[in-house]
Amino acid sequence: MFATQLKNELLKLFARKRTHIGFGAFLVVQITILGLLQLPKAKRAFGQLLSSNGYLPEEYYAGLTLGLLIIVFTISLLGALYVALVGGDVVAKEVEDGTMRMILSRPISRLRLLAVKWVACVIYTFTLMVFLGATSLLAGTIYRQGLGKLFVFVPHEGLFSAFDTGEGLWRYWRAVFFLGVVTQIITAVAFMFSCFKMKPASATILTLSVFFVDFVLRSIPYFASFQKYFISYHTACWVRTYADVVPWAGVAESLVYLTALGATFWIVGAMAFCARDFKS
Amino acid sequence: MISLQAVSKRFGSRLAVDNLTLTVPRGGIFGLLGHNGAGKSTTIGMLLGQVTPDAGEVRVAGRDVFADRRQALERVGAIFETPAFYDYLTGWRNLRIFSEYSAPFDPVRGREVVQLVGLERRIGDPVGTYSHGMRQRLALAQALMPKPELLILDEPSEGLDPEGIHEMRNLILRLNREWGLTILFSSHLLSEVQHLCSDLAVMQEGRLLFVGNWRELDADRQWVRVRVDRQSAAETGLVAAGLVDQFEYDGRGRLRAGVAVPAVAEWLVKQGFAVEAVHSLERTLEDFYLETIHVRDPAKK
Repeated sequence: MFATQLKNELLKLFARKRTHIGFGAFLVVQITILGLLQLPKAKRAFGQLLSSNGYLPEEYYAGLTLGLLIIVFTISLLGALYVALVGGDVVAKEVEDGTMRMILSRPISRLRLLAVKWVACVIYTFTLMVFLGATSLLAGTIYRQGLGKLFVFVPHEGLFSAFDTGEGLWRYWRAVFFLGVVTQIITAVAFMFSCFKMKPASATILTLSVFFVDFVLRSIPYFASFQKYFISYHTACWVRTYADVVPWAGVAESLVYLTALGATFWIVGAMAFCARDFKS
Repeated sequence: MISLQAVSKRFGSRLAVDNLTLTVPRGGIFGLLGHNGAGKSTTIGMLLGQVTPDAGEVRVAGRDVFADRRQALERVGAIFETPAFYDYLTGWRNLRIFSEYSAPFDPVRGREVVQLVGLERRIGDPVGTYSHGMRQRLALAQALMPKPELLILDEPSEGLDPEGIHEMRNLILRLNREWGLTILFSSHLLSEVQHLCSDLAVMQEGRLLFVGNWRELDADRQWVRVRVDRQSAAETGLVAAGLVDQFEYDGRGRLRAGVAVPAVAEWLVKQGFAVEAVHSLERTLEDFYLETIHVRDPAKK
């Protein structure tokens, strides 16, 4: 029955007009970013960065590198918002619409219902990341007529790496997988707020506020020695998988931290949901 | 079928249900009446395990709703005044989704209930295109999917046009008579409750004011309508003469036990009133309900 219920939850998520609009919006943003990356100033700056380090711009300024750039910008601009929107909606919207009351008149336990919804959210977020990974890569590849080699430069993470096409492609998809994993923390926070008695929009806004405050505080020099306490430090672990020598211990530590935090948020949300009264 | 024992529920400072004890027998149509905020929806919420009582015990089909939720609600269907669905999905898909929260979907049963509620021609359309009446019928179909023994209907006729109300009433009667379902029926439409229920409970501010067969109560008493030239003088005189217990609005009065309508007419003529009309009245549920709310409420006494 769990698989059937999960299938139904996924159907509800994917059949919504909002999903189609959202995925369409991502495509528009990706194409816009690709267009901006083709502006002469942007191309020149990138070319200079590559050539001053002994790399040929025509080899590296291609599908893989553009795909990575597009995905980074898209996630920063729209990704967190969209994931927070989906997570914030998943319970609160059903309560607001009245379908939750219809569901809870069936003899399903609230914990099981939340578990089904949570797994559906996780699958949905992963699908979104794979979609973004594929469309970003496709856009870059079609535009530059080839995958080329992968160049990664993230100053604040101390990353400067270059990979051949094969290694680059493997690194690209591996990073997309880790991106999918770390994004679950946004889903978890949104899901928790969604379980409380509040409007779906409030759950989304609160979620974004949590991550915004986390990011701002982490950027303040005073907190430099507390980096590892911030969520945004750990969510950046997907980028660290691009290091020449991947700091697997650090990545694992971040994943454990995020998993524990996500589980805590889930439990808090579930407790709030189970204690709630549902009445018209 | 339903048993509530000393159940109380408070929302903040407001006592929504106050020490409610109520038993609903199997096989009948049982009405639940009360003003807005009387505690009807909270009571229904507790029966479905959606509202947790602060005290007391709620049992459906002999099982505790909170300790043994699955077994207690396995054979229960419920619909609410504003049924909510996934508007972007078809009626059939909605039926399937709601059914599969508790049991595998049975397409044969699905077709049977769709046919019963008369939605077979539109079941493949998105619910967003349905009228309110069609949504209500779909809600009833989903409530019937688990082959319920108990059907809880919370304002099922709300917002329906007269034809829709008539159809819903016939459907409820059919479900009770032909399918043997026990039905708990909550509605503001007193005429609907009158058509459907003899046994009912009246709630006021969370308390139970009356439970039982309202038709049998004071069945020996008749009601009369009096229209004369000096109306208030006649009403006062009839009460003073011991023929009428009390008058309500529009010349309606309840005869004292053993008094018949001709005796009232005779008294009025003898007293010289110009009688326009004196006739017996059938007691309606509205009469009973208003009397219960205003007279039986111990707080008001």
